[in-house]
Amino acid sequence: MSSEAQEGQTSNKITCTDVTCPVCGLTCDDIEVEVDDVSVVTRNACIMGDAKFKELRSSHRITAPLINGKEAPWSDAIDKAAEIFVNAKRPFFFIGSETATEAMSVGIEIAEMLGGLVDGNATICHGPTVMAIQDVGQVGCTLGETRNRADLDIYWGANPEDSHPRHLSRHSVFQRGFFTGQGRFGRQIMVVDPRRSTTAEHADLHLQLKPGTDFEVLNALMTILNGFEPHESFTEVTGISREDIYKAADMIKDARFGVIWVGLGIASTRGKHYNASMAMRLTQLGNKYGKFVILANRGHCNVAGFNEVLAWQCGFPYAVDFSTGEPRYQPGEYSTVDVLRRGEADALFCMCADLGAHLPKRAVERMCEIPVVSIETAEGPQAFISDVVLPGVLDGMECEGTFYRMDNVPCYARSFIDPPFDFTKSNEDTLIQLRDAIKRKLAARGKTTETVEGAAETGSKATTLSEEEYVQRLDTLLSQPQS
Amino acid sequence: MEIILNTGGTAFQGACVKGGRKFTDEYTQEAAYCDINPEDFVALGKPWLVKITNEYGDSVVLQAKKTDRQQKGEIFIPRGPWANIVVTTYTESTGSPAYKNRKVEIEEGSGPVLGPVTLMKKYYSKRTNRTGRTPAEGGA
Repeated sequence: MSSEAQEGQTSNKITCTDVTCPVCGLTCDDIEVEVDDVSVVTRNACIMGDAKFKELRSSHRITAPLINGKEAPWSDAIDKAAEIFVNAKRPFFFIGSETATEAMSVGIEIAEMLGGLVDGNATICHGPTVMAIQDVGQVGCTLGETRNRADLDIYWGANPEDSHPRHLSRHSVFQRGFFTGQGRFGRQIMVVDPRRSTTAEHADLHLQLKPGTDFEVLNALMTILNGFEPHESFTEVTGISREDIYKAADMIKDARFGVIWVGLGIASTRGKHYNASMAMRLTQLGNKYGKFVILANRGHCNVAGFNEVLAWQCGFPYAVDFSTGEPRYQPGEYSTVDVLRRGEADALFCMCADLGAHLPKRAVERMCEIPVVSIETAEGPQAFISDVVLPGVLDGMECEGTFYRMDNVPCYARSFIDPPFDFTKSNEDTLIQLRDAIKRKLAARGKTTETVEGAAETGSKATTLSEEEYVQRLDTLLSQPQS
Repeated sequence: MEIILNTGGTAFQGACVKGGRKFTDEYTQEAAYCDINPEDFVALGKPWLVKITNEYGDSVVLQAKKTDRQQKGEIFIPRGPWANIVVTTYTESTGSPAYKNRKVEIEEGSGPVLGPVTLMKKYYSKRTNRTGRTPAEGGA
């Protein structure tokens, strides 16, 4: 992967090749971008990628900090944001996915320092799939293997034509890989979706199930693969004919290399992580017949990166609470929607994610009651409900960083242009400035930051306790009444 | 009429969001509609607009779109602030709300389809909501 900037004919025109796209989980790294003073032209980018690159020269870009909707000096905005979090008893840090892992790491550090909660986009995306990975385990591979080897692509609750427009052409259906030189003609395509989606139009077999019956269909497939008959009520329950389910089982048996691409169709419907667990068990069973893998179609650019960073910083993939001084993980209790619905968080930090547009109404209503600080690049629902808006830097364009692709492969994204302001160089820089402002405020109030600084350097505070202290601390925690 | 709601992303809605065009009429065009199966569409009286109401009584008015991509008894609304008025916070202890497969009421609607700014002002104005909610309103 290389990026080269050349001076074009116009003095301010820049042409860059092999640019990494910061939009969806595919992290395409073959984008060409031409930028001059007024316009942006892209090649190879999809409709969403093109829209994102055009943000470099858009009229609606937020270029100055906003406090209560009015432009304010950068130092005032950072000060106000730090004040909000120092005053909060239960601050919540939502680390969005359209930013690099380096920035995420600092965000998690601030949450740990303040004893707050931290969560990321996975919580409203493939969180249940991540829980299933913990339950069952994932047989996975990289996208390179799927493009070169897969002769059966199963899209389960996924519609990549819309969510990942280049998925079919780069990594699956139409790609002519090393062992898949015939492209579409060498591959079988199965789509499992209650809608006749645009992806379903490419399918050799479309299982148009009733919503919420993924678990039953997965179970029936496993039953057939194990040599038994599915229950007689199968068609009535799922809406799929017995002929079709047997055809699906035969396609799995015949495959040399099969991939199940799971989308939000299984993670957002009833059953959630149980559906995903069953899909992973089916994958394991598929390996009796050929090579079988399962990959999650992660929607946002670096949503996999958040799981990775949080896991190597505190051991858990999402929904973490630091209020007891050590990380505790419990989806449903410390996850964003649940915390907001219960009215628990009393200050919210939202980085590079439009929660205002993408959370259910009852959760957004809580955000209207508490102070909200956001990093945003454009006007929208999140900026609308924010007390403080810090202008966002476009990662992979205006600053370099690391993105985790949907197969958990880290990709390094270079920058090729400077941000339109000079008060911050990157979202990581913004967060470091915020972290330092919070530390100064804590010190001014006589709260020592030594322990928290120590915790940040050595990982969790629990690791520095002696065994006796640890037992004592556990006793104290357990003796407290449960709220 | 009771019907099953599914929400999800589309490429055009995605392009609006990624391109920062979240406070434009284009976003309304791409996200404030409801896909309905032809049979259900006729049963509803071939409406121009539909009103979707969830189990909490929250409701939103959307453009009605007839399409055979939907099965009978199901509707689809693109991801966005309109869909999320009626998406519930029920997460089954996973953190992920009920974006898909939740029963809602659908009927012929009247009144305008709100633009994104008007919608935000109507439902989420900070000043009016500062008074707080009763526990009953906050529960799922």
